[in-house]
Amino acid sequence: MSGRLDRIGLLAVPALGFLAVIYALPLAMLLAKSVQGPEGFSLAEYRAFFADEYNIRVLMRTLRVAALTTVLAFVIAYPTAFAMSRAKGIWLTVFLVALVLPMSLGVVVKAFAWSILFRANGVLNSVLMGIGLTERPVRMLFTETALIVGAANVFLPFMVLPIYSVIRQLDSRLPEAAASLGASPWFRFTRVTLPLSLPGVVAGSAFVFSMAVSMYVIPSLIVGERQQNLSMLIARSFLFLRNEALGSTLAAILLAIAIVVVLGSGWLAARLGARR
Amino acid sequence: MTRHGTRGLTRRTLLRSSAFATLGTLAAPAILRAQTSEIVIGCAGSHTAWMEEIVAPHMKSAIGADILFEGTKSSVNLEKMASNKDRPYLSVVQMDDPVMIQAVEADLLSPITADAVPNMADLRPDAVHMDGMWCNYVQPWAGVAYNTDFAPGGVSSWASLWAPENAGQVIIPSLQNTEGVWTLYAAAMLATGKPFAEAQYEVEAAFAKLEELKPNLLSVYSTMSQAFNLLEQGEITMLAGNFSSYTLPRKAEGVPVDLSAPEEGIFAMPSGICLVKGGPNPELAQAYVNEMLGPDMQAAIADFASSVPANTTVKAGAVVPEGVAIHSPDWAFVAANRREWIERFDKLMAL
Repeated sequence: MSGRLDRIGLLAVPALGFLAVIYALPLAMLLAKSVQGPEGFSLAEYRAFFADEYNIRVLMRTLRVAALTTVLAFVIAYPTAFAMSRAKGIWLTVFLVALVLPMSLGVVVKAFAWSILFRANGVLNSVLMGIGLTERPVRMLFTETALIVGAANVFLPFMVLPIYSVIRQLDSRLPEAAASLGASPWFRFTRVTLPLSLPGVVAGSAFVFSMAVSMYVIPSLIVGERQQNLSMLIARSFLFLRNEALGSTLAAILLAIAIVVVLGSGWLAARLGARR
Repeated sequence: MTRHGTRGLTRRTLLRSSAFATLGTLAAPAILRAQTSEIVIGCAGSHTAWMEEIVAPHMKSAIGADILFEGTKSSVNLEKMASNKDRPYLSVVQMDDPVMIQAVEADLLSPITADAVPNMADLRPDAVHMDGMWCNYVQPWAGVAYNTDFAPGGVSSWASLWAPENAGQVIIPSLQNTEGVWTLYAAAMLATGKPFAEAQYEVEAAFAKLEELKPNLLSVYSTMSQAFNLLEQGEITMLAGNFSSYTLPRKAEGVPVDLSAPEEGIFAMPSGICLVKGGPNPELAQAYVNEMLGPDMQAAIADFASSVPANTTVKAGAVVPEGVAIHSPDWAFVAANRREWIERFDKLMAL
């Protein structure tokens, strides 16, 4: 049996080989450049990065935007995933198409659509002024709020689908059993349903946070150069400053953040799984 | 006893055949490319429209070349050339002068000679740089683009960008973009009162003046098309440093935009063309450059992109505003300082 398992394990070899050549090798070369000084091993680029107040601001903004994007995506995705888990037939198809179809639309097209929505004489400002909430247009374009809304919109399917896949497999008799023992709807949700769905939430949050922390095109289009994030600094270092050491250092820092998120979420998911 | 042989399909044969088939499939694009008359041209993203509409069909009929365009920023083209220095895949690159200087310093270019490119002889002398390392093929002029619905009188002075009534109504290019230096020079000129030729070296004064512009800025762009879209929509009134090859064709299409030539002066955009050192199909690349500098292409591009032709035998293209000085900056000074300026600019403009 174990011999058969070993052979089945060989099926992963092409994927591992692909990742080793396309991902791990270039990454290792990149990381090596970040610790290469004129006289050998050096952490000078890292020290210089953390000594610059502007870089710290960029780092904090990157983390803040990624966190808020994840929270917003979760708030929208959680009830959606529940609705999907209850939907059947044509309605389930509608939900899935509504989630997947926008992914085929490029971010550039979406960014232009958002500018129509967010501009001074755009739909949102017209509604706000029409119902008397504001007297003059509120500036929405080129704000962090617009970036978070736009990013959450793009990454929403990556939050909905993991949560949906977990909720769909929940044993519906468990909340019913709690109800038969006199548990209120709120108690059933917070003590039964929510804990059981958390592995999906953790997986979705890890997906969205990882993508939001490293996004480049979306902030470039929505907030422009005045609110740079780590990815924009990386592009600037390689393409405009032609400083490979700085670009590699920034990439290593971004990778470290991603590793912490992935390992942390894996640990959390394992703990939650064990509690179940 | 009859042997029912299947010798032709042993496991080893199958594996070997599969390996050759895979190698053949992977190598096919390179083999085909080597045999065809295809050349890859790096150019500006904003040039894609006329490159596809005018240049590609002309090159096919004139020199039999199949042209592949890669439209992006000059600095990205430079990075592509540097990264692929050992095995270049670009044959010709069209990019801006300050980046050309960096390309020459990195030994990425082959000189253009009059023997291989005869039309070079008809160019204005100031359109040939560093003994033919690159040539300017057309030169759009740059000023301030504005929305005609919201600024019907146009923009008479660069100082209008700083006017309090234009708070939140201005977008400027990043210094990552070549046209970004026009706003820097306008700031230097306004801060010092000196003409552009002298003010361009007053960098400290320029950055101090740029800081005063921040209340008026809606954004700083590195992707021009999006900023221009906001100008067309009326979200902003002015787009600094824009050029005739972009604004005037849009105006001709009926979009409510126009390009002002401020009284203090306008700028000549430095659109250059060069041969990539060791690039594929060198003879075809030279023929391409020759056509780009020839009267037919010069007239067509200059008309289409509202630019000033570099070929002295051509009478076409943009009408340069009368009575306004055109300034061509010291690009060597820009190339030497640009990296430091970009970092400083980004920090200054950050929110």
